[in-house]
Amino acid sequence: MFVTRRMQRNVVTISPSASLQDARRLMREHTVRQLPVTGEDNKLVGVVSDRDIREAMLPVGLLFGSSEKEMENMLASTPVEKVMTRKVVTATVNDSLEDAITLLHDFRVNSLPVLDDKGGVAGIITRTDVLKAFIEALGVGEISSRLEVVVPDVPGALAGITAIIKTFHVNITSILTTGHTEPDKRAVFFRIATLNVGPIRKALEEAGYEILDPGDFLP
Amino acid sequence: MKNVAYVYHPDYLLHAPPFEHPESPDRLNAINTHLEEVGLFNTLMPVTPDYPDNGDILRVHDPDYLRKLELACRRGDLTLDAEDTYLNKNSYLIALLSAAGAIAGADAVATGKADRAFCAVRPPGHHAARAKGMGFCLLNNAAIAVRSLQALHGVSRVMIIDWDVHHGNGTQSIFWEDPSVFFFSIHENPAFLYPGTGRRWETGNGAGEGTTLNAPMAPGAGDDEYRLVFEQLLAPAAERFRPEFLVLSAGFDPHCDDPLADMQLTDEGFRFLSEFVVALANQYCGGKIVSVLEGGYERESLARCTEIHIRELQKN
Repeated sequence: MFVTRRMQRNVVTISPSASLQDARRLMREHTVRQLPVTGEDNKLVGVVSDRDIREAMLPVGLLFGSSEKEMENMLASTPVEKVMTRKVVTATVNDSLEDAITLLHDFRVNSLPVLDDKGGVAGIITRTDVLKAFIEALGVGEISSRLEVVVPDVPGALAGITAIIKTFHVNITSILTTGHTEPDKRAVFFRIATLNVGPIRKALEEAGYEILDPGDFLP
Repeated sequence: MKNVAYVYHPDYLLHAPPFEHPESPDRLNAINTHLEEVGLFNTLMPVTPDYPDNGDILRVHDPDYLRKLELACRRGDLTLDAEDTYLNKNSYLIALLSAAGAIAGADAVATGKADRAFCAVRPPGHHAARAKGMGFCLLNNAAIAVRSLQALHGVSRVMIIDWDVHHGNGTQSIFWEDPSVFFFSIHENPAFLYPGTGRRWETGNGAGEGTTLNAPMAPGAGDDEYRLVFEQLLAPAAERFRPEFLVLSAGFDPHCDDPLADMQLTDEGFRFLSEFVVALANQYCGGKIVSVLEGGYERESLARCTEIHIRELQKN
């Protein structure tokens, strides 16, 4: 899946010469925490975040006898380019969602402006967008039961399980597999659209599969 | 001793699975045989429901859904929407009769013919939403009883207490934006068990914000954990809401012997839950409770705990 499937396309941007006051207003209006800063031709020149603004406000706030008015004056007279981050971690429209997830994690940023081939801002993807993709992929909130099976780490292991599930005429809404505590095994997590998992569990056990009990995961 | 109505209809046995299935007629047979053996029937007021008016059902369900369900049964479909809920030729009528049982129980209590009622009905109801049956449920019996109390008996504020081990997603969705009905559900954590809803932060919406309360329980939770939730979550909620009537979605599948889930309630746990809701009803509702059977699949614990539950309902 490409990042373009999950990014937001209506990006609120700001120009480098706009004031911090404008930036703060835009963030509040659109409930976002950062704005890509764009120059000519929609080219990305930086990012300004709510944290950049707070840090700019801090020295004024510490002044003895400083007033609300002085603070507003400072915000109105400080251009965005003075506090923005110039070295921005970005994704491109050709990146996969996996690229974006890795970038967000490895560079510890909250969002990635997504750039088109000409360096213009085509969209933005945030940690929230990525979490939403995960929630959907895991089938969380879909009407279903969870089934956890341990399989030997060999080709075709999953096919055996799904063949058994198929005989019960129920849909699988999500499959996830991860390494198991034993190195030559994998744990497979299914979400299947039925309340009646008992018979499926039994059939799998009779076929020699190890079913994990939820209690096995308790501390 | 309180006069408790026992609502039952022999036709409840006619909704039967076309293959081996945990939700089958012998659940009610097990209950009836056991209640007979322990001599409880002599102390109960029998109520046999009649088929309901369509209007009673339409207070909760979508007319198109009812037509679809009726057609599917006539056609001989084995499942609803090719999903996990089975049907036979009788299922539509028996689902109506099951809802009628809950209505009859509510009616008996509301009119004072009985102090409390236990409705030994099936198919169960709490997964059924307005326009969709699922999870062995076709029509939402408890919700239909609530709406009939409100429409016919001048009851305004009803609290539903759902202790079936599965989250009552259908009931929750029906009353999601309704401030007149408080829905409380205690169930196994949806990460591990069907239907995958009923998380802590699902609390209703709009005018109904705050009148839905979910208590998801970790696998392995038992009597002590349930007791804590009833004392610390349910009791304060009832105090704030001040219900005029309690409707129970009584599922006996959180029992430690039940094969479908991972809770560890004992017989004593069900006695405590029953005693607790009776105390709540006495405090706020003049004692009025209608208890509607939901799940419970291990026949022996189901029958024993139903007896224990009814005996608590009989206490003052």
